[in-house]
Amino acid sequence: MATVVGNGGGSPNRPNGGGRATVPNRRGVTGPELATPPLVVRRREEEETVVTFPSLVFREFLAAMGITGFLMLVSTWVNAPLLQRANTAITPNPAKAPWYFLGLQELLERFPPVMAGVAFPTFVIVGMILTPYLDKNPSRRPQDRKVAISLMTVYIMLAVAFVVIGVFFRGVAFTWQWDRVLGHPGVNPGT
Amino acid sequence: MRATGAGGPNPLVKFASQLWGSIFRHGLPSTDKVAARTALTNFFLHIHPVRVKKSAIRVSYTLCLGGLSFFLFILLTISGLFLMFYYIPSVDQAYQNIKDLQFVETFGLVTRNLHRWAAHGMVITVWLHMARVFYQGSYKPPREFNWAIGSILLVVTLLLSFSGYLLPWDQLAVWAITVGTNMAKYAPIAGPYTRYVMLGGRTVGQGALIRFYVLHVVALPLIGFILMVIHFWRVRKDGFTGGL
Repeated sequence: MATVVGNGGGSPNRPNGGGRATVPNRRGVTGPELATPPLVVRRREEEETVVTFPSLVFREFLAAMGITGFLMLVSTWVNAPLLQRANTAITPNPAKAPWYFLGLQELLERFPPVMAGVAFPTFVIVGMILTPYLDKNPSRRPQDRKVAISLMTVYIMLAVAFVVIGVFFRGVAFTWQWDRVLGHPGVNPGT
Repeated sequence: MRATGAGGPNPLVKFASQLWGSIFRHGLPSTDKVAARTALTNFFLHIHPVRVKKSAIRVSYTLCLGGLSFFLFILLTISGLFLMFYYIPSVDQAYQNIKDLQFVETFGLVTRNLHRWAAHGMVITVWLHMARVFYQGSYKPPREFNWAIGSILLVVTLLLSFSGYLLPWDQLAVWAITVGTNMAKYAPIAGPYTRYVMLGGRTVGQGALIRFYVLHVVALPLIGFILMVIHFWRVRKDGFTGGL
């Protein structure tokens, strides 16, 4: 603020509009927000703030204790799976990837391998990383972001659907099976 | 403790109080001023800003997902460290080590269960954290690059879980990794080589086990930790976006 001392009518602590534009905002961020610093600063000051310690730290502690307790309970009652010792001569049927990759395995069933195994995952990962650079919409309000929210929702629904299909509806040779969910009587329960 | 003798407080109490004061340079957060000083002078607390907008730390806003992901990472590091004492990454011994953990070692079963379920939990919380940040538009400038780091952290989380999947060396492990790494094979030109490098051979064997082990316990956690530090530092510098 020293630069504005003695600039005519303004008090040292209240620079004029031109002075303001060159002052970085309080987070030291230079970017699109810099275009309207007075507005941003004023709105921030109106927002009610609290000290992070203990307000936030206490909540984090509760969350950490909660999830530790939950996982300890689950770990006491549900054992992690362990099958027979690995045997490369015996292929289990179906052979499935871990659940979070079952979406990929599902795609491999439906599309040519180069598409499903390489093109789609690359597109998803690169697309995800580039999202903020592709989405030029400055607004964070949901009503201004109908396209972005729709696209993400479709993506998440597809991803979840593929994982659910892979876990519950894919049986021998990764073919579609209702038995696992509907539990037909007489069907071998071992699968 | 009462002071004994005429020459002032017990030297032991004096020493204890000096020791305590030298480690914690602040009292309990009785007032906002003390709380602020506490946050500034404590290494573990300075990861947070001193003050935040009330709307930014509403549980209904963050759902604690980022914090839970980090906490699960810590939980996994600790439980994984205990598992490492009993696990030898050899195709002849690995499976028996896991059996011993389940049936012989004290608390081996619950430690392995905890590690397994926390790992699945971390995959879920990291995914949900990404979805939360997307739906609230918190990736918008100036936070574009932090979103990119977060995206890579999501991939690192998946790779950590995937590499750990092989270590028990049972039928589930070996065939899941066989199916998983077969996907890499389809990449044009580089595909087969990529798979060969991942497995250290053409099939899932000792070469794959030691590679996945080293990636799982050293390389990926280290990469993840460094990216997390940058991720948190940038959150700290950019501030929390706060309620909509």
